[in-house]
Amino acid sequence: MAHSQNSTEFPVNINTTRLPLPNGHRALPKLKRLSQRTSDEQKDSSCRDPDPSYLSLSGHGLTYVTIHPPFPRYAFLEHDIVLALSFLLNDLSPVCRGNLYKAYMQLVQVPRGAQEIISKGLISPLVWKLQVEREEEFQELILDTLVLCLREDATEALGSNVVLVLKQKLLSVNENIRSKAAHALLNVSISREGKKQVCKFDVIPILVHLLKDPVEHVKSNAAGALMFATVITEGKYAALEAQAISPLLELLHSPMTVARLNATKALTMLAEAPEGRKVLQVHVPTFRAMEVESHEKPQVAEALQRAARIAVSVIEFKP
Amino acid sequence: MTSALTDGTSRAPSTYTYTSRPRALPCQRSRYRDSLTQPDEEPMRYGNIMYDRRVIRGNTYALQTGPLLFDFDLEVKPVLEVLVGKIIEQSLLEVMEEEELANLRASQREYEELRNSERAEVQRLEEQERRHREEKERRKKQQWEIVHKHNETSQKIAARAFAQRYLADLLPSVFGSLRDSGYFYDPIERDIEIGFLPWLMNEVEKTMEYSMVGRTVLDMLIREVVEKRLYMYEHKEETHRSPEPEDEPGGPGAVTESLEASEFPEQSMSQTQGLLLDGDYVQRTTYDRRSSQERKFMEETELLEQDEESAMRKSLEEEELS
Repeated sequence: MAHSQNSTEFPVNINTTRLPLPNGHRALPKLKRLSQRTSDEQKDSSCRDPDPSYLSLSGHGLTYVTIHPPFPRYAFLEHDIVLALSFLLNDLSPVCRGNLYKAYMQLVQVPRGAQEIISKGLISPLVWKLQVEREEEFQELILDTLVLCLREDATEALGSNVVLVLKQKLLSVNENIRSKAAHALLNVSISREGKKQVCKFDVIPILVHLLKDPVEHVKSNAAGALMFATVITEGKYAALEAQAISPLLELLHSPMTVARLNATKALTMLAEAPEGRKVLQVHVPTFRAMEVESHEKPQVAEALQRAARIAVSVIEFKP
Repeated sequence: MTSALTDGTSRAPSTYTYTSRPRALPCQRSRYRDSLTQPDEEPMRYGNIMYDRRVIRGNTYALQTGPLLFDFDLEVKPVLEVLVGKIIEQSLLEVMEEEELANLRASQREYEELRNSERAEVQRLEEQERRHREEKERRKKQQWEIVHKHNETSQKIAARAFAQRYLADLLPSVFGSLRDSGYFYDPIERDIEIGFLPWLMNEVEKTMEYSMVGRTVLDMLIREVVEKRLYMYEHKEETHRSPEPEDEPGGPGAVTESLEASEFPEQSMSQTQGLLLDGDYVQRTTYDRRSSQERKFMEETELLEQDEESAMRKSLEEEELS
């Protein structure tokens, strides 16, 4: 009779176009060998293996492996696959590249993965690819990867002009790209250097423009990016000049919690400047109303209330 | 089933793996089954379980001709159950996993947002702190500079006041010392002092010399006359006495008396001197109102007397010798 143990094998109806891969961590050495073989082939320009499916297979297998349980990510890192796979970045086949981006995106969900990508110096190529890549889906994937990497360490990215690239993407037609680009800018401007670069490259007016975007999550990410960029004095005055206060006030009534939170914080920053304080003194009642509103999750409610209280105290500050 | 499988591996050109599709077994599988199915060789030709007579199935062509192997329908049920069950379980697990992951992601995102807002707050406070500190530093520096300037200014003022006081006396003292050294002079006075007075003195000296010379000449005249008279008197005494000249009233009288007494040259000279001196003194006392010139004249006569004494001595000696 059959045994009733949980099968760790792949289900039976598997796509024949896929590589036969052993499961879990045993797949990785094989993948590594495969990718090295392909990269060697690429290096050896005389024998260019024209079989894209082979490479896409390896990428596909990758994605499959990484999407599933989280432990392969660490095995990934142990087997040093990241660097080997980076050679696939310049591959001609879009399928392969797409799979690579997906794999990286899955990889950086853990902080160690993001650090690995940063330490292998892959951010500059990724930023370059972001500029060059035509497919919007790929751009989204790269942006997702960058968002998570930038959270860890922004210095390398700042060196490769990521702010300029993201500035371009902010004006894209695709709303996902706009939103993710704004999120990436948010993460960039956490560091001091990032803030300075954001102000230097005049990104703030664009962010203020995005505050009036029809899509909610774009607005909230733009507000978040502003929140960080206005911590420094230059940012504050740039935002005030770009008339950021009124869109932010509108955002306070947004349905998205994070949008409200970000808007409150951004307004707090702006209220530190005397001009901002003057304008916001009229709107103190709005903040007071926010102090008492509740939310289903107590943490979030508390956070909102605290933010509102701080905003009120900053606005009413007398030197 | 296992036998079919082993038979499959014994002869199949491609390997059997778990991805292989179920396929119809090829016919000739006689070698290892001689002992078992010797009598049933004929029906095994098909090799397909569906056509195997010994298995009872739902849709079967076969009638129950030989010994049964197994009832397909009965046996397949648990197998199917397990298979389907496992498949469904696995897919349920996967779906649940994905849902869980999505939930995790969502809560992660939320946490991230809260964290971002807190971070922003922290950065704002940091920035505020930094601004305050910078402001304080700036103000302190400003204050320090003010105090420093204040000190410097007061020092400068003190220095200036002191210098003023010190130098205030300078001007009068300079002038005083210059005046004391005689650098300021009245040019007329100086001119008189330098030019006029020496000339005056010179002239006075000259005049006095003239009078001296005149007196000396007079003295010489008188001496000669007196000598001559003396000579003549001495000659005349041998014969008789001659009348004396009346040139000078007192002076010649005293002189002749003295000359008479002066036969002895040395004593006479000193006596003459003394008498002359006395005579002069008498003259002075009696004739106070004579001009200073005449007085001086007399003094100079005295002086010239002394000069003439040598001449007289010589002449007298010569006389005596002669």
